[in-house]
Amino acid sequence: MLNEDHDTEVSPGETLDVFLRLEEALDSTLKSVIDDTESSAQSIIRNIRQLHESARKLTTYLDGTSLNAGDLGKEIAQSVAFLVDIGTFVERLPAKMERDLVSIQAVVEEMKTLSDLTSDVKAISLQSHLLAINAAVEAGRAGSAGNAFKVVADEMRRLAGNSNAMAVRINSGLARAQQIVDGGLRSTITDSSRQLADVSTAAVAIRRLQDNLDDMSQFYKTRFAIVAKHNEDLVLEIAEALGQVQYQDVVRQCIERYRIAAGRRNDALRDVFGSSGDPVGGDAALPVQLELILGDFLAEEDKHRHSVRQTQGSSAPLKIELF
Amino acid sequence: MAKTIMIVDDSSTMLMSLRNSLEIAGFKVLEASDGSVALKTLQGGAKPDLIITDINMPNMGGIEFIGKARALAGFRFIPILALTTESQQGKRDEAKKLGATGWLLKPVSGTDLNKIIKQVLPGA
Repeated sequence: MLNEDHDTEVSPGETLDVFLRLEEALDSTLKSVIDDTESSAQSIIRNIRQLHESARKLTTYLDGTSLNAGDLGKEIAQSVAFLVDIGTFVERLPAKMERDLVSIQAVVEEMKTLSDLTSDVKAISLQSHLLAINAAVEAGRAGSAGNAFKVVADEMRRLAGNSNAMAVRINSGLARAQQIVDGGLRSTITDSSRQLADVSTAAVAIRRLQDNLDDMSQFYKTRFAIVAKHNEDLVLEIAEALGQVQYQDVVRQCIERYRIAAGRRNDALRDVFGSSGDPVGGDAALPVQLELILGDFLAEEDKHRHSVRQTQGSSAPLKIELF
Repeated sequence: MAKTIMIVDDSSTMLMSLRNSLEIAGFKVLEASDGSVALKTLQGGAKPDLIITDINMPNMGGIEFIGKARALAGFRFIPILALTTESQQGKRDEAKKLGATGWLLKPVSGTDLNKIIKQVLPGA
């Protein structure tokens, strides 16, 4: 064999030496490829996991927000329901007050009747007073025999005076009560009606607020549902990505099988040529050994027919089999 | 309560990939770097609900590990799945004979893995 640069003859031993050094360099590179892809794959896994953790935190945060909004919504709904009840009561209040006023007026009529009765009481007490005076005059005429009767006449006169004073007080109280009912209560109802109308307007506004709250609540429920669905999809994609990273192990094993076969081939070459570069074991054995190595390599490869590229067609092995 | 799955593989990438897939799916994970380490872990009292093992590993391969794990008390019915690049029918038959529950070819997607786990671990 001639060296093209120097036109000198090169021994098989020198060629083998260069070949094996080249193989060593290639093997070293393949080993680096395994290490680098392994490191890269593991870095990808860590990043994917971090991505998942971030997504999980986001959904946890959104879930918390959704729960808080839900609680707040319930509280607002309860408050609104309470206010609506008040509004309904207020709306009915004028009619109720009118009914009460009618009842009160009936009472006032009864009071007028009582007032008339006090006039009768006054008349009776006046008559009693006159009767007592007459009795006292008659007792005076009777002299000492009329003393006892004079005491009775005095008592009757005081009683008549008391009855008259009582009738006057009752009459005055009834007049004041009637004045309150006729003037104050009527004006209170009139004033209240205006204020109650304002409250009724507020009740309508509250109902509108509740409707808006329901709309808003539904809007956010829909948004949360969409985010939850995206998160579900993200988790599935993450699971798929983690599965795809396993190709690094598949490729690693493929390269390892190649390195084993290449190592055996290099050993066979060394055995045949020896350190001197001259065939020592008989170069006729080399093809047989290489054939053996090739057979073993192909058999190993056949055992690992698994990748998507290799498993197209009906003869592809089952990827998943339960026994 | 979360189910526990033991994963046995000599590839640190595979262990990382499986651990993360399974943890995200809500499982607890035990790791072993080959059949020998896995067997010692089981003998030490670990009681996983499912074992997923590689086949080609140093020290003790998956086939031998399946046979020895099945011989342990309390491990007769625990599902054991082989997860490997080996597609050879002979190896599958051998694993089946020794008590493997199923055979999965690498790489296996997270979706497929979770589907299979639900089949062999009802309620997971």
